[in-house]
Amino acid sequence: MRETGRIGVDIGGTFTDIVLFTDRGRTVSRKTPSTPLRPEQAVLTGIRLALEESGLEANDIVSVLHGTTVGSNAILQKRGGRTALVTTRGFRDVLEIGRLRTPGMFDLSWDKPEPLVPRHWRYEVSERIAANGAVIALLDGQQLLDVGAFLQAEGIESVAICFLNSYRNPAHEREAEAILRERFPEIAVTTSVAVLPEQREYERTSTTVVNAYVLPVLREYLVSLADGLKAMGLDAPLFVSNSNGGLAPAALAQEKPVFFISSGRAAGVAGAGNLGTRIKAPDLVAFDMGGTTASASLVKDGKLSRTTEYEFRSGISTPSRFIKAGGYMMRVPTVDVAEIGNGSGSIAYVDDGGLTCVGPISAGADPGPACYGTGGDKPTVTDANLVLGFLPDRLAGGSMMLDVDAARTAIARHVADPLGLSIEEAAFGIRAIANANMARAIRAVTIERGLDPRDFKLLAYGGSGPNHACDLARILNMPEVLFPPAPGVFTAMGMLSGAIEHFLIRSLQQPLDRIEPATLQAMTRDLADEAIRELSARGHDRDAIGLGFEIDLRFAGQDSELQVPFDPDRLEDEIGALRPRFLELYREMYGYVSRDGVEAVNMRLTASIAAGTADIWQRAPETVTEAGQRPAERTRPVYFERGGGWRDTPIFDRDGFAGPVTGPLAIESADTTIIVPPGATAGTDPAGNVVVTIDA
Amino acid sequence: MPEADAAAGTEPVRIDPITFAVLKSALDTIVDEMAGTVMRTARSPIVRDVLDYSATLCDRNGLILSQAKTVALHLGAVPDAMEVIVSRFAGSVRPGDVFILNDPYAGGMHLPDIFMIRPVFEGERLQGYSVVVAHHCDMGGRVPGSNAADSTEIFQEGLRIPPSRLYAGGEPNETLFDLIRTNVRVPDLVMGDLDAQLAACTIGEREIRRLVARHGERELHAYFDALLDYGEELTRKGIAAWPDGTYRFTDYIDGDGFSDAPIPICCAIIVDGDSLVVDFDGSSPQVRGAINATFSFTKSSAYLAVRCALSQDVPNNAGVYRAITVTAPKHSILNPDMPAPVAARALTGYRVVDAVLGALAKVAPERIMAAGEGGNTVIAIGGYDKQTAEPFILVDMINGAWGGRRDKDGVEGITNPAQNMSNLPIETLEARYPLRMEEYALRPDSCGAGRFRGGLGLSRQYRILADDTILQVRADRTATLPYGLFGGEPGTPSRNILDPDGRRTELPGKFTRLVGRDTVIRHEQAGGGGNGDPLERDLGAITEDLRNGKISGNYAEIRHGVVFAADGVTIDVAGTAARRDGMRDEREKDRR
Repeated sequence: MRETGRIGVDIGGTFTDIVLFTDRGRTVSRKTPSTPLRPEQAVLTGIRLALEESGLEANDIVSVLHGTTVGSNAILQKRGGRTALVTTRGFRDVLEIGRLRTPGMFDLSWDKPEPLVPRHWRYEVSERIAANGAVIALLDGQQLLDVGAFLQAEGIESVAICFLNSYRNPAHEREAEAILRERFPEIAVTTSVAVLPEQREYERTSTTVVNAYVLPVLREYLVSLADGLKAMGLDAPLFVSNSNGGLAPAALAQEKPVFFISSGRAAGVAGAGNLGTRIKAPDLVAFDMGGTTASASLVKDGKLSRTTEYEFRSGISTPSRFIKAGGYMMRVPTVDVAEIGNGSGSIAYVDDGGLTCVGPISAGADPGPACYGTGGDKPTVTDANLVLGFLPDRLAGGSMMLDVDAARTAIARHVADPLGLSIEEAAFGIRAIANANMARAIRAVTIERGLDPRDFKLLAYGGSGPNHACDLARILNMPEVLFPPAPGVFTAMGMLSGAIEHFLIRSLQQPLDRIEPATLQAMTRDLADEAIRELSARGHDRDAIGLGFEIDLRFAGQDSELQVPFDPDRLEDEIGALRPRFLELYREMYGYVSRDGVEAVNMRLTASIAAGTADIWQRAPETVTEAGQRPAERTRPVYFERGGGWRDTPIFDRDGFAGPVTGPLAIESADTTIIVPPGATAGTDPAGNVVVTIDA
Repeated sequence: MPEADAAAGTEPVRIDPITFAVLKSALDTIVDEMAGTVMRTARSPIVRDVLDYSATLCDRNGLILSQAKTVALHLGAVPDAMEVIVSRFAGSVRPGDVFILNDPYAGGMHLPDIFMIRPVFEGERLQGYSVVVAHHCDMGGRVPGSNAADSTEIFQEGLRIPPSRLYAGGEPNETLFDLIRTNVRVPDLVMGDLDAQLAACTIGEREIRRLVARHGERELHAYFDALLDYGEELTRKGIAAWPDGTYRFTDYIDGDGFSDAPIPICCAIIVDGDSLVVDFDGSSPQVRGAINATFSFTKSSAYLAVRCALSQDVPNNAGVYRAITVTAPKHSILNPDMPAPVAARALTGYRVVDAVLGALAKVAPERIMAAGEGGNTVIAIGGYDKQTAEPFILVDMINGAWGGRRDKDGVEGITNPAQNMSNLPIETLEARYPLRMEEYALRPDSCGAGRFRGGLGLSRQYRILADDTILQVRADRTATLPYGLFGGEPGTPSRNILDPDGRRTELPGKFTRLVGRDTVIRHEQAGGGGNGDPLERDLGAITEDLRNGKISGNYAEIRHGVVFAADGVTIDVAGTAARRDGMRDEREKDRR
């Protein structure tokens, strides 16, 4: 039988990662420089190289799974399509007014982000639907045609339609969509009920507008990519990873791009969940550290932690789930990621009051950390790590030399001298503060949700995560840290382990104890039918489809819901079980429960199909020597403890490392350096992960 | 630091800059988590959607260590509430106690704001306080919402809760619960919001105890003290950079709802080295209507305004106040005597902020904006829903616009900087109340002109679908306008209009009246003041505003001296320059 393969692709800011995984368990990975203006170029180049290296032909590839930042970049760089909004008379400013809040306080220099649709492209038409769904004023079709003519004259590519109360009665939106599609077929149309049939006009309008805005750009990209793949003879189905960590056909991503804005990042977390399940570590915190930010996400009982809304903003989002302001709001299912503006390139400084701070400003790749010698003269986390020996003085497998003296000078001038500390003490402080900042992201997904971090293992990936992960585990008393075999291309690997997902939602809006079982039954059946129909039409085997139902519940009068799972096959029992299940979740989260009535707000269905035919995590074992771990061939002094001074630290190569070895030690590979502090013990597991046990 | 712990004696704890930074971040995270808990568990729209509440941690002396990014106006009032609790219950505070109060004359601000204070113990030793203040949607009294501007003594305003134990040693005080439940119009919402406050206070308690466990009591409190010192130091550094001197500004409130006489708020800021005095001498005596502000609230407003002129690095803690002294004459609107009514005092707070910012514009023009909308407009609509026979109370707050900044336009559709409030979704409002919203929009031409214009005010138009409803409105800036700075013009006045599409009756800024079914009430909010000379405004910016319908051609001609080409759309650049020269000459003549 011929060997076939699947390809995972993750586009990052600097590199595009390709992982090719064959049905015989072979893995080939490739990093190619990203090509931001034509992102598909790097993808095609990388795939070509991976094919060559693997010896497979293009037609041996059965699927391509893809995480893309095209959607988020379109928003970030304001390069979406020319987009208009059609809305109910009296309400075109809902989008611009938003929710009024500011992310900081006492700052009169703050500015709101520009709305994605400027006021002159926001059109009002006469129509009105009441809160109960009754039609108060009919849609004025003539006005709509006039609007269409304006859109055409203005060269609009994409239009969002959002009418008040359409979540209760979508008739006017559907009618408007039909009219515009028929008369102006060149303009893409997004109705709000197609992306988010939920109460709250600002959130729904904003979500719809993001969809409309990104749509032309993502569509163009995916078409170019598909064309390019076809041209090289690769005709396999193309899937895109969505913000929820699942995979969906490229056609869906073209139609509803708002579900794909956090495309790549979510796939990494999904990969973490998958790996965790495989190695029987169902409770994990997935930790990723890049140049500008670090992020953490929770996996509990093998399930990813998800949220139903997030804001995309150009600056840094803090792990605060409280402040909503300053971004482009999307209410779509999303892997819940706490992100903090602290990465390896974050700059350290001392403020006027003598407080040492790290981030959120980052030296990025340009000018870069002081030690890169590329023009940066501010001390960064990387500089501190280099000075303290946590990093070798050459990176990327020796291709890049680092300038220790430049790092020392920068730290002396900006931190050590102002504080009256030695350079080592100051560098240690920078690292410690960075660790404390990043621990906030982990806290946000554990302690702030009433969960004890000690019950979770930490899984570290990304280029810098492995350098700090053991310190973070210590701060939060986490017992064990896992380092996957190729942390640098982990996200692309994650995609290969992902599942195809289809997501549906229906409004319920009634007291839980007044819901008739028949209503619930009919609704679950409708949703299931729709999902199965949709997935079968794409050629999926009906039996492979898994259905997960949830109901959004809250106490009467509240505005935030908890998602409570239920089993539609045991409906009679389940109806009675929903309230206690909700109370339990609620108490876990908020520490009390009320005696009040419970309201059911929405029903959600996630239909999924495991996409993997082979197990990406069952790798061929590394070349481990039968005789056990060889001693390290070199050492380097590392400054682990303040006051404890330098420790001569053995350096191992990741290739061939088996352990167990008790720290201090460092394990180096081309893409990262794992730091194992004194007292902790590093070993490996059968899947090729390095496993570090932190001393209690 | 272990070595400090080991030396359990009296030698001072050495403050390590790293632990210091870590602890500061930990406190900020905790208050944020408390605030998020209130938002997700509260019941009334004013708390859960509009976010009229605040969350704070205090040290064991009741001094604020950190406050969440919630209503800033509460920040400076917490110290007075803490002082009352600390002094009144001295020696008898026990683990499991939870205190509440709302009496403006005993630590409170106005009756709807209930302070909840949970002392935090480790064993029997007090470690600090976890505090949540929330605006409840009703506290009884003569007008639904307990917010009316036209009461004349506190006894009309609702239930006064003196500092009391809501829980004593973990046991609920059922008498107090009953008393509250019996005296408010919508007990489910009020009791539900109290639950939300308690949940958040409990999280604050849990987290402070975690910090004690991690750092040890002695070390932790030493760091708390250091945090307050740090707040003071940064504040003093900021003030020291300003030139010494006295800077004055007077702003006005339109009237108290009984009289149209403008009510002056006079502010003198005295910068002296690294400390600063805010003196309100000359401000109006206390007034008949319910816009008197307790002195704690006056201080709160003044602190936050000064804070806006300082660096962003200054933390939200009590150390800041050590460098700032606030004084206000006795019996004045800023320091009234019992039983003066205070329900609508927030308005006075906003004007205090405007007056202080006006004075600070002379010291720190790069950080100060021209006046914004002048504080949120409060619209309370209450009655009985015929269909459900249930009482309903909507307390809606309309925000807001910022004035022009030194180097950019004001923001529109934004919270007043004295709070950090949100708005109530129209669809939520319509689903819950017998009301229909007919418009929610930016108000074109409402901005004060300037080189950098003010933000546009908002308009919000309601149709009332219930019979015999009490409509109460508190608006201001109908007569005294949001000021401009450095040659910028004031914003347009606000208006209340009854039946805007029919008989169009203009109503006063503050009123309470009974209205019938299908009444339509429209509020048009004032726009922000401009900053800099309107004749220097960039033509590109004017074109953009015209295109977006934010200003009219007429406005551009009159305010900015724009001359249009024959098409009526394109700006005639040369013609505009000539016209602007002419306007400048006119100005010069007038000046002479």
